[in-house]
Amino acid sequence: MFDRLRRNRAFRNLAPAATVVLALLAGLAVDGYGQFVLSLTVSAIVIGAALTMLVGYARCITLATGAMMALGAYGSTLLVIKLGVPYLLAVLCAGIIGGIGGFLLAVPGVRFRGHNLAMVTLVFQAVVVILLREWRDVTGGAEGLNVPPPTAFGVTLTDDYAVLVLNVAVCALVLIPLAVLLNGAFGKNLRAVTGNEVGARAFGINVERHLIAAFTASSAFIAVAAALNAPRYRIIDPDSYGVLVSIFTLAYPIVGGMQSIWGGVLGGGILSILPELLRPVADFIELFFCILVIATLMFFPGGIVELLSRAFRLDRKGASEAAGAEETRSAGSAATGLPSLAASSGSTVTPGSASAPAALITQRVRKRYGALQAVDDVSIEVAAGSLHGLMGPNGAGKTTLFNAISGFTPADSGRIECFGEDITAAPVEARIAIGVTRTFQNVAVFPKLTCLDNVIIGLGANGIWNTFARSFDESVNGRRSAKEREAARWALAAVGINGKAEVPAGTLSLGDQRRLEMARAIVSRPRLIFLDEPVSGVGRQEAELLKELLQHINIELGVTMLIVEHNIKFLVDVCDTLSVMSSGRIVAEGKPGDVIALAEVRQVYFGEKKAAP
Amino acid sequence: MVIIGGLKIGAIYALAAIGLVVIHKATKTVNFAHGGLVMLGAFAAYLIVVELNWPYWLAYVLIPILIGIVATVLEITILRPLRRADLFIVIVATIFLGIALSETFRLAQNTEMLAVPAAIKGPPMMLELGEDLVIITREQIWVCLGALAVGVIGLVVFRYGAAGRSMRAMAANVRGAQLCGYSVNRVYAIAWFVGGALAGLAGVFAAPSHGVSPELAISVITAAFVAAVIGGFDSLLGAIIGGLLLGLAETLSAAYVSSAMKSAVSFLLLFVVLLWRPEGLFPEAKGRDV
Repeated sequence: MFDRLRRNRAFRNLAPAATVVLALLAGLAVDGYGQFVLSLTVSAIVIGAALTMLVGYARCITLATGAMMALGAYGSTLLVIKLGVPYLLAVLCAGIIGGIGGFLLAVPGVRFRGHNLAMVTLVFQAVVVILLREWRDVTGGAEGLNVPPPTAFGVTLTDDYAVLVLNVAVCALVLIPLAVLLNGAFGKNLRAVTGNEVGARAFGINVERHLIAAFTASSAFIAVAAALNAPRYRIIDPDSYGVLVSIFTLAYPIVGGMQSIWGGVLGGGILSILPELLRPVADFIELFFCILVIATLMFFPGGIVELLSRAFRLDRKGASEAAGAEETRSAGSAATGLPSLAASSGSTVTPGSASAPAALITQRVRKRYGALQAVDDVSIEVAAGSLHGLMGPNGAGKTTLFNAISGFTPADSGRIECFGEDITAAPVEARIAIGVTRTFQNVAVFPKLTCLDNVIIGLGANGIWNTFARSFDESVNGRRSAKEREAARWALAAVGINGKAEVPAGTLSLGDQRRLEMARAIVSRPRLIFLDEPVSGVGRQEAELLKELLQHINIELGVTMLIVEHNIKFLVDVCDTLSVMSSGRIVAEGKPGDVIALAEVRQVYFGEKKAAP
Repeated sequence: MVIIGGLKIGAIYALAAIGLVVIHKATKTVNFAHGGLVMLGAFAAYLIVVELNWPYWLAYVLIPILIGIVATVLEITILRPLRRADLFIVIVATIFLGIALSETFRLAQNTEMLAVPAAIKGPPMMLELGEDLVIITREQIWVCLGALAVGVIGLVVFRYGAAGRSMRAMAANVRGAQLCGYSVNRVYAIAWFVGGALAGLAGVFAAPSHGVSPELAISVITAAFVAAVIGGFDSLLGAIIGGLLLGLAETLSAAYVSSAMKSAVSFLLLFVVLLWRPEGLFPEAKGRDV
C-alpha cells in the first residue's frame, strides 16, 4: 500500500518531465525545422504548466506573461553579450530576474482580484514593453537584439537537434520542481484559498503571500522558458513579447484544463504546435485560437485533460470500484461506534482541574460598527474542559464577539486571554500554536481538495516557507508528510468519516462536511475550539449524532468548546454553562436549565412579558 | 489648442468608459471586449460613410443600434451560459471575444488602417489669445460637445429612467431585484445593448481622428478602463470626468514631454489611483448608516 503510494507520488511529479523527454524521440523523426518547432514546444509546455499554477490554481488572470518572457529573454541575452556570462548560467539568472519581476508585479497587484488584478498585470505588461522600446542603449529599442547561439560547457551549439537536447534537458529539470509545488502542499493551499478564502485564513494560510509566491514562482519558470527560446528567434524585439503573446499564452491552461499540471502541459504543447499544422490557413490562426478558447469555456470547462480522462474512464472505473469496496469496509467499522481517542492522543488536558487557568477570559471587549455598539463590555470566562454555550437573538452580537475572540475582526478595546496567554492581537498561526481553532456557521471546507488534504491544512503549518518545505518533503515521502497524513487519518477516524479520506470534500453531505470541519479543527490537538452554529442546517437525527460527537471529543480529548448556536434544545442538552447575549451585552449566565428559566432570558428570547409583581 | 485636442480625445474615452461602467454596474462583469465593440463601431462608420456613401447622420443613428445588437447577441449566446460557472470564466471569455472581434476585422480588411473623413467640414476657427493664435477645427468642437451630450443623456436616463432603475436594483442586490419582478436576463441584455450602443457611438466619434485599425481596440479598452477606474468604476459621472482627465493628461504629456510618455501616463494614472484610492475619485456612496 505504502509502496504504491510512493510510486504514485513519484510518478505524478516526474511524469510531466518525462513527457518532455519524449520530444527527443519525436525530434529524431523530423527535419531541422521540425526540431526547431519542437524546442519551442517544450518551452511552451513549461509556460503552460507555470500558468496552470497562476491561472488554474490561484485563479489570477494574468496578462503579463509576455512581459515575464521578455524579462527572461532580454535578461539572459544581455547577460551573455554584455557581461559574458555563460549561457546556461544566464538562463538560470533569467529565472531569478523573472521571479523578481513577478514579485514586483504581485506585491501591489494581489490587493486586487478579478478584473482589477487583470488590469494591473496589463499595466505591467505595457510598462515593460515601453521600457524595451525606449531604453535603446541597452535593449536596442524597436529593432531589438541579436541573440548569439546557445553554448553549453564552452561548446557552441549550432545543430538543431543539439539545441533541442539542451532545451529538453533544461525544461525537464524545470518541470520537476514545478510539479512538486503544484502537486504538493503549495498547490493544495492555493486551491484551498480559491475554494474558501475565509476557511483558508482561519488555518493560517496567508492569502496574499500565497498569491505573491504563485506570481513569483510562475514568472520565474516562464522567464527560464523564454530565455531558452531567445537564441532560437535569433533576433528578439519588443513585438515578440506584446500583449497578444500574453493573451494567447493565457489560452494554454484554459484549453488544456486548469485542474492539474497536465492541463498546462497539454495545452502548451498542443497550442504551440497547432500553428505549424495549420500553416495553409495561417491567417486565421488567431481567430481560431479565440474560438477554441471560448468553445472550451462553454462546452468543455475541464479542457483537454477532462476530455481525455472521460475517454479513459472505462479504465478508471475498475480501479475506483476496488477503492469503493475498501471504503465501505472502513465505513462499516466506523459505524460500530466512535473509536476511543485517548489511546492515540497522547497527553490531554485534564478536564476541569481547579488549578488550570480558564480556557478563555474576555475582559470588557467592545466592538462598534458605525452607530451600532455590536459588542458592549462583554466579559465572559470559559472554564477549562467545559462545554460553554452562547445564545441570543439575531443581532445580539454573538458573531461579532466570536469573530473578535477568534481573531477575524479585532475588537476595539478589551483583552482576550486563552489559557493564561494574551491573544488579543495574536495572528491565526499563533492561536493554533496555543491550541485554539474554530469551525464555521456556513461550512468552510475546501471543496476541490480531498478530505485528507482538508484536514492536513488544519494542522496549521501554512506559512509560505513552511508550505514550500512541506511540498518538497511530500514529494520525497519525508517523515513529516507521513506524520501529517497519520494525524489527519486519526482526526477523520475520530469524527467517523475515515472512509472518505480520498473523496473531494465538495461531494460530502452537509452533515459530513460539518464532521470534516470538526476533524480539521481537532487535528492540531487544540485545547479550545470555537464552534459557530455547528448544527445549523442539518436534520434532527444528524444533530443528535453531532451532539454525541462533540461530547465524545470533549471528554476523550479534554477539549474546551465555546458553542454559538440558535438551536436551544441542542445547547441545553450539550452544554455545562450557558451565556445569553442581547443587544451586545451578556444578560444571563449559569447552568443551562436555570438560565432558560430566567425571566430576563425568556423576555429577550421568547418575547414573554414579565409577570406583574 | 492642446487642451481642446485633449478634451476631444477625452470625450471619446468618456463615452467608451460609460459603456463599460453601464455593463459593469448591472452585470458585475468588466467587458474586456469593449475595445473590440468600439473598433467595430468605427469600422461600421467607415462602411456607411466611405463605402456606401450614405449621409453622415445615418451613421450616428444606425451604428449605436447595430453595435448594441451585436453586444446583446454576444451576451445572450456566449456570456449568459458562461455566467452559470463563475465570473472568472466570464472575464476570460470577454478577453478572447475582444481579440476575436479585432481579428475578424483584420481578416475582413487586409489594410492596416482605414481612414474616415471628418463628420463636419468647414474652415477652422481662429481664436487670438494674446500673442498665440489658437486653431480649433469644427470637428473638435462637434466631437467634444456631441460625445459629452450623449454622456449626459446617458447619465440622466440611468438615474431617472426605468431601465436605469432596474439596472441599479440588479447591481445592488440580484435576488432582491428578481423578487421585485425584474428579470435578470432582460436587465443584463438591456445593459449590454446600452453599453454596446455607447461603444458604437464612441467608435463613430473616434473614426475620423484615430482611423480604423485592430490597434484601436486595445488602445481604447485600456483608456476606457483607466477612465472608469479614475471615476470609481460604478459612477457614470466619474467615468465622464475620468475620461476627460485622461485625455488631457495624455495630450499634455505628449505635447510637452515625449510621445512615449503618452501611453505611460495613462498607466501611471491607473496605478496611482488603484493604489492610492481604489474606490476612485468619485465613488458612489456605498457605506450604509446604521
